[in-house]
Order: sequence, then C-alpha cells, then structure tokens
Amino acid sequence: MHLIVSVRYFFLGLVNMFESFLISSGLLKRYETLNISKIQYLAIVIDSEEALQTLKVLNLLRWLAAIGLTNVCLYDKEGVLKRSEQEITERLKSEKRFKAPSLNCAVSGVKEITTSDSLLDQKCMNLEFISFSDGKAAVARAANFLFEKHYSSDNKKKPNFTEFDMAGALRAIGYVRPDPDLMLVYGPARCHLGFPAWRIRYTEIMHMGSLKSMKFGFLIKAIHRFTTVHQNYGTVILLMHDIKCVKINFISFPFCVIFLESRNKLTFWVHVFGFL
Amino acid sequence: MSSLQLHQSLAPLLYKPNFLSHLPYPTLRFRSLPVASFSKNGISMSQSHENGVVRNGAQEEYSDSLPEGLLRELMPTHVAVIMDGNRRWARMRGLPIWSGYEAGVRALRRIVELCCKWGIKVLTVFAFSSDNWFRPKVETDFLMGLFERGLRDELENFSKAGIRISVIGGSTKFPKPLQVLITDAMEVTKNNSRLHLIVAVNYSGQNDIVQACQSIALKVKDGVVKLEDINEFLIERELETNCTDFPCPDLLIRTSGELRISNFLLWQLAFTELYFEHSHWPDFGDDEFLEALRSFQQRQRRYGGHDS
Repeated sequence: MHLIVSVRYFFLGLVNMFESFLISSGLLKRYETLNISKIQYLAIVIDSEEALQTLKVLNLLRWLAAIGLTNVCLYDKEGVLKRSEQEITERLKSEKRFKAPSLNCAVSGVKEITTSDSLLDQKCMNLEFISFSDGKAAVARAANFLFEKHYSSDNKKKPNFTEFDMAGALRAIGYVRPDPDLMLVYGPARCHLGFPAWRIRYTEIMHMGSLKSMKFGFLIKAIHRFTTVHQNYGTVILLMHDIKCVKINFISFPFCVIFLESRNKLTFWVHVFGFL
Repeated sequence: MSSLQLHQSLAPLLYKPNFLSHLPYPTLRFRSLPVASFSKNGISMSQSHENGVVRNGAQEEYSDSLPEGLLRELMPTHVAVIMDGNRRWARMRGLPIWSGYEAGVRALRRIVELCCKWGIKVLTVFAFSSDNWFRPKVETDFLMGLFERGLRDELENFSKAGIRISVIGGSTKFPKPLQVLITDAMEVTKNNSRLHLIVAVNYSGQNDIVQACQSIALKVKDGVVKLEDINEFLIERELETNCTDFPCPDLLIRTSGELRISNFLLWQLAFTELYFEHSHWPDFGDDEFLEALRSFQQRQRRYGGHDS
C-alpha cells in the first residue's frame, strides 16, 4: 500500500512538473494575465536548511519582482534569512530588472521595465526578514509590555486585555507590518514553521514543495489560484462597543478594521471581512 | 524527491473553486451511539446500525488493527479539524442548510468513532468561530439549540465510551442552560481517557492568546510569576488547550478546499501539518480520513519528526 501511495505521488509530481512547463512557456492562456492587486502582502516561509540556498532565494525574489509583487516577507525559523539580509539586499540593489521568463504577455501591475531600474528600489520592492523570535517570543514581549503598561502602576483599574490591546502592544515593540494575504511555504513540511501566529488569521497558505525544485510555473499557478478564488470579503457589520481606546487605525484589504471614536467615547468597530 | 510533495492545491484541480466561502459549522446533535461501538476492552462484538447498514463490530477493533497503509508508530496523537462546507453541501443538493448541519454531525460522529478505533488521543474540532456571531440570529440560535440538545443526548454515551469532553472558547454568550450543561459535561467526563474531544465554540485563536497573556498578568500581579519569567512557554501553558497534555495538533484537516486556518489555534498550529481537503465536511468519511492520515504519515516517513 505504501508503494502504491508513493507511486501515486510520483505520477502526480510528473503531471505537476509538466503543467509548470506549460505555464512557464506561456502555452496555457488562462495564466497569461495575473491580477496581483489582491496580494497586498506576500509571505514566503522557507525551511531553515533550504534557506541557506541564497541563490535560490534571490531567484525567487526576482520572479516575484517580475510578476509585480513588491511587498514580501521572508521567514525562516532559525533566522538564516535574517543573517543573509544584507547579502540579499545588496545583490538585489545591484541587479537590473528583467522580464519574467517566458511570460511574454502582460502581467498587470508590473511597472514598465527600464534598464535603469534597480531591482530593490525603494518604490519597487519592500522586504521584511523575520524569524521565530518575531513570532511567539514577540507575543511574550508584548505581554510583558501590556503588564507594565496596565498592571505595574499603582492605578487600581486593571483592565482586561483585548485583541486590540495586543495588536497595539506588538506595534509598540516594533511589529507594525501587515498581515499577509498569501503565504507560500517552501520546504518539506507542510506547516508554517512558526510564522508569527498573530498575523495569519485569514492568510491563504500554499505549500510549494522544496526550494531546490521550485518552478516559475508553480509560482504563477499558486498566485493565479489565490487571485481567482472568491474570498467573500466585503460584508460590512457595524457594531458598537464601549471601549476606552481612542486610536484610529486602518488595515487594508483583505481584512479591514476601522476604529473610530465618537464624541461620547463609544467606539465603533467597522468590520469588513468575510465569514472565514 | 521533495518535488513530489507538491500541495494538492497545485495539482490538477479535482474540483471547481467554490465561491461561497462561508464556513458553516455542524452542530453536535449526535444520534445515540451504540455504546458497544466503543468497547473499552478493545473488541466490539456487537453490531451497530447506522442508516440501516449493519456494521460488524468484530471487525472494528480499537487500537489492534489499522487500515492498510497506516503505521501505528506514525499515527498523529492530536488531530484538529475545521469542519467546513456544510451549507455548501446542502446548497449543492438543493437542501435547506439545516440538512447540511445534520449531515455534518453524522460525519463528525463517524470521525469520533474512527479516532477511538485508531488510537488517536485528542480530536479538536472547530464548531463555531467567534466571527460566526455575525450570521443571522435565527441560524446562531438554531446552532446553539442543536449544540445543547446534542450534548445532552450524547453525554451518557460519551461517558460510557470513555470519551472526555472539553469545550474551549468564550461561553458567556451562550444561553445559561447551555453553560450549565457544558460545565456538567466536562465534569462528568473529566476522568475519561480513551479520546479527548475538544470542541471549539465561540473560539478565536487571537483571543486565546490574549486571555493567556491576561492570565499571566494576573499571576504576575499576585506574585505567582515573575515579570522576567514571561516567555512563550508560559503563554502556551495558559492557552485554552491546556486542558490536554497534547495541546499542539500534529495534523490539521480543513475541508471544502479553503486554504486558511481562519483564526483557529493560531499559536498551537506552528508546526502542525496542514492538510486541505477538497470535499465538503459532510462528505468527509472513512476514505477521506484515511487519505489524510496516509498523507500525514507519508510526510513523516520522508522527513522525520518536527520541532515542537
């Protein structure tokens, strides 16, 4: 039975590789145009051992830039990518932009290519490098922050923490990046390897296989799938909560939470989100 | 070899993307289960009747035999499930959504049986999210009522079958009788050890983290814990899943093809294998569960264990 299952996965892999070839060659018309506007923030999770392949990581970033995805978060558990940050950013800065391989058709959202463009232009690509210490450990630091803010003083009022408080605490200690819309996982394990849990409530997660065998066609297919699936976001619910917070905050698509303060100190939460 | 482990989402799609991403959750309206189906001595010689099909209990031994293709040593200890697709299942068949919930309950019941039979120690199911309160009141009232009736009807069976029940999530929004029933159910079954069924109702992964931090803050204030000792391990011990010795699932299954974890066990799923199943929850049966477990074991064989 194990042999049968293995053979099945082997043939499935062959089919996928052939499909990737067709996509990369531009032979599959439905992948000609990608509407990447749905991907405001992309997370790339890489197994730490595979993250040592800096050239592969660079290649992946080049593909993403060619597609037009400019806000990318790179994560690996051990911090290998963090340590490679300087090398990666310097290499990208020195490179010129190039056209997506075998993608001869228009990719919406891609800037017109000029030879003077640097790949890592401030306007072009924003990279975030994080590791496990920016996940659970960060929440622990945020908890510490909340305690010191609300409980360590002589103030007798000890408010109950809310999700908004935690989000504020994370921002206060330096974690201000948005939640990814899409997460691509490269590596043997089909899990997110400890990516900051607070940020992935409604993130689409796709396992891409090994970084060593990454294919441009698979990348296109994954992004195409995400951009064509209906997320059912957009239901506006107006709730009133008696909360003391006064901050005005706005997080953009796909999950928008707007906090407003009215004159009588009631806080309106306007949720724009989908039902899971 | 690792290229063979491509995600199903990149495989030729076996289904059309469903544009209705609502997540209806089944109720816990179990029909009465034959107690002998969960015989504690490992062998059930009785026959159970389900939907008119007679099942030979002698063929369903607990922990002694697994279906072909599964290895005992690679079975997950804790399986979590996001039971997605009940309403879509009903709509596809032109049925009212309540039929979808009923069918979902049957599917849940079967999975509970299989977990008992195959030696899985903990099963956590996402029954109702804190976000689901935004659904029509008639629907949420119906679900709460069904949950209450189902729990009441099945409590005795669970007690006798060795199933321990825990309910996580904020219960303050529940009707008072349901709150009392949940407390009683957890108390009555707390010593059972065959299977720990954790039902997440009105649950939010982010809120779980927040309440854990709140709990720690109170302990620091009371001098039980030092401020400098606050770390991720302390937080993990205060999460609602601290009711089990195995709080982190080994395998998460989500049905209906959605590729999100939807605010479910955010902290606990850091190193959990994610399995996204195409079929809707009411159609998730023996074969589908078997496939999920085989896939899990396949990955384990290739790459060994993972860090927790």
